[in-house]
Amino acid sequence: MAESQNPDFDAIVVGSGVTGGMAAKELTERGLKVLVLERGRQLRHGSDYLGEHAPPWHLPHHGKPLRELYADQYAVQSRNYAFSEQNRPFWNNDRDNPYATDEGKPFRWYRSDVVGGRSLLWGRQSYRYSEQDFAANAQDGHGIPWPVNYGDIAPWYSHVEKFIGVNGRREGLAQLPDGEFQQPMPWFALEETIKARLAKKAPDVTLTNSRIAVLTEDLPGRAACHYCGPCHNGCSTGSYFSSQSSTLPAASATGNLTLLPDSVVTRLEYDPATRRVSKVLVTSVTGEQRAYSAKVVFLCAGTIASTQLLLHSTSSAFPDGLANSSGVLGHYLMDHPLGLAGMGVFLDNMESYYRGYRPNGLYIPRFRNVGGQDRDADFVRGYGFQTMTFRRDWSMSFNSRGIGAQYKEAMRKPGFWLFALAQFVECLPRKSNRMYLSSRKDRFGVPQVVFDMQWSDNERALWDDAFVQAQRILRAAGAVVSIEGPREMSTPGEGIHEMGTARMGDDPRESVLNGYNQAHDVPNLFVTDGSFQTSASCVNPVLTLLAFTARASDYAATQLAGGHI
Amino acid sequence: MNRRELMQCVVVLAGCANSGSLRAALSDEQRQFLLDSPSYIDREIGYLSPVRRKIIAAMAETIIPRTDTPGAIDAGVPRYIELMAAQWLNDRERAIFEAGIADMETRIPREFGKPFHELAAEQQRAILEDMESAAGDSTWYELGNVARTFISDAPFICQVKELTVFGFFTSEVGSKEVLRYDPMPMHFDGDLPLGRDDSSWALMMLINRG
Repeated sequence: MAESQNPDFDAIVVGSGVTGGMAAKELTERGLKVLVLERGRQLRHGSDYLGEHAPPWHLPHHGKPLRELYADQYAVQSRNYAFSEQNRPFWNNDRDNPYATDEGKPFRWYRSDVVGGRSLLWGRQSYRYSEQDFAANAQDGHGIPWPVNYGDIAPWYSHVEKFIGVNGRREGLAQLPDGEFQQPMPWFALEETIKARLAKKAPDVTLTNSRIAVLTEDLPGRAACHYCGPCHNGCSTGSYFSSQSSTLPAASATGNLTLLPDSVVTRLEYDPATRRVSKVLVTSVTGEQRAYSAKVVFLCAGTIASTQLLLHSTSSAFPDGLANSSGVLGHYLMDHPLGLAGMGVFLDNMESYYRGYRPNGLYIPRFRNVGGQDRDADFVRGYGFQTMTFRRDWSMSFNSRGIGAQYKEAMRKPGFWLFALAQFVECLPRKSNRMYLSSRKDRFGVPQVVFDMQWSDNERALWDDAFVQAQRILRAAGAVVSIEGPREMSTPGEGIHEMGTARMGDDPRESVLNGYNQAHDVPNLFVTDGSFQTSASCVNPVLTLLAFTARASDYAATQLAGGHI
Repeated sequence: MNRRELMQCVVVLAGCANSGSLRAALSDEQRQFLLDSPSYIDREIGYLSPVRRKIIAAMAETIIPRTDTPGAIDAGVPRYIELMAAQWLNDRERAIFEAGIADMETRIPREFGKPFHELAAEQQRAILEDMESAAGDSTWYELGNVARTFISDAPFICQVKELTVFGFFTSEVGSKEVLRYDPMPMHFDGDLPLGRDDSSWALMMLINRG
């Protein structure tokens, strides 16, 4: 058939966010003609970051939330810490693009709706999974074994770290492998004080730089951080990694990239004769329908959206969803429970202040069940703490009593130091945690997603332990007062680390993808967003998604060149 | 855009959008955005009567008076409060606001013989302190009750205080002349000496939720 012999493109990439951008870069740099399809609207790097550096007095209501509008159109997105009037145009409109949840089982699905996707809005934390993370499923029997080990992926971690730019401190820890780091960002004096105390009183705990994809050294076309603060309003100097600042420009520079915004992929067509995806069906936001063909298709739409597309792309060969002969598609949904385990008040270093808005805190890598099961732990796996250091100011104390000059003075000046610990907890893969399709359809005719997810006893036990350990750490750190955060667990999805719904494994009967992110059932289909993840680790997943995407792109290009796809 | 251009861009954004050559550092889109976005308090508003406007101005100035640094009136806070009361408060909150200002308008002359804005500063302060005492059991005063949008049933005095403080420290004058304003620090120094009289930095990350 003519169309299968002469496809429109060598590769189609669905999604232009974290992984879509990396797939586009790696594939185009290997000479492939690539079409990137993005449901969101076009956004030009830099010039369209309209709220970047906008001072509050220029914003309506000085940036106060528009409550009626948010309730009506951003009911989910506006709950996100990064949502602001400066970046609202980056986010999904929940009224126009809704989803459903099972009663009593809420789920927060944070989505972007522009070219660049959530890479514009992410928290920039970039950690490697460890050997222990890749071995965990095989060792404790939860989930299925990973088909990849640390040694397989380590070179790809290096490859993407060098390109995206990660700053951090080398620590030599087995549970948090070091990477290719730029110069680490400096610390607050209080953080040095705390580190010295922990070394004596809690030596099992390491306090290190959070490793973030923000430059401290220039890279081509990107400048080192200027410490203005709110990264998620967009960064025209490209100082933090986004596909807008980094991978999409690199892909574009090859001359091999076509990027179509406003293009919602509604279905993948499967040809049983060739066992290949034969067409990608697209509806534009104005309702115009098109079909594109390619030798390979990369799904990089984000875990939920990619899985939704596969579940919806049924055929007589795959009545339960494309590439779903195993029946696990949509199951084993994971996220990281996250919360504020504790916060301490510190009266040290009171004559020391700071200049610049450092766009991160520090990090306490997992210290529970490292290298073996802790005797006092009634749970498997672990959690890490992201820390935040800040000095009390008017915005944290304006509701105190007082009228007049004295009150003004108190509001004007810095108060005590605060040091907070936020836990990120590993979530076990469980079949009952799932997403599926509703009978209700969205405005493009695609069935809406429904979530059915709850934390298990293991997550709960890890969560409780984090509160106990946080108090131990804050006491050892020298807090004069320490308080606990809310004990209630976060709502699934709030970690914004959706994972696992098209997991990889060696056995096609219990996994969707092989170790190269290639569908067992459909050789020209790759899925490289978080849906491939066989387990969650407790570290933020983006760096791992990037490394697997780069590796899968290399594999796909090689297989294509060899005539195997 | 290199870092020098970026700094220029920020200088422009920080308040001199018409200063000739610097304009070249901005994209057309960013420039248009700025032109379309004058300072919020420069908007026209005719929500309060002239008398009520004076009362609100006097209340704001009592809460944050001019000292050796500018006060609430210098920073345009009265206009901010009027705009927010008219455009941003919801119906329930606006009803509390209007009942409160009506009470100030009628009660104060009855009890003190003069409108609030004509009283001596000490008297004004004592009145607001009494109002705070009367509102003391409001949840608004609970420790840590700051990282939220607004307390819908907050009493009038708390409404005015919150809008005054927020409007003041997010204003151009409050940010630059009372707090310290450095939107483009270029470096991070975690051990900068703090003098006894030094202010906090403006633009803390929590402000949009405050």
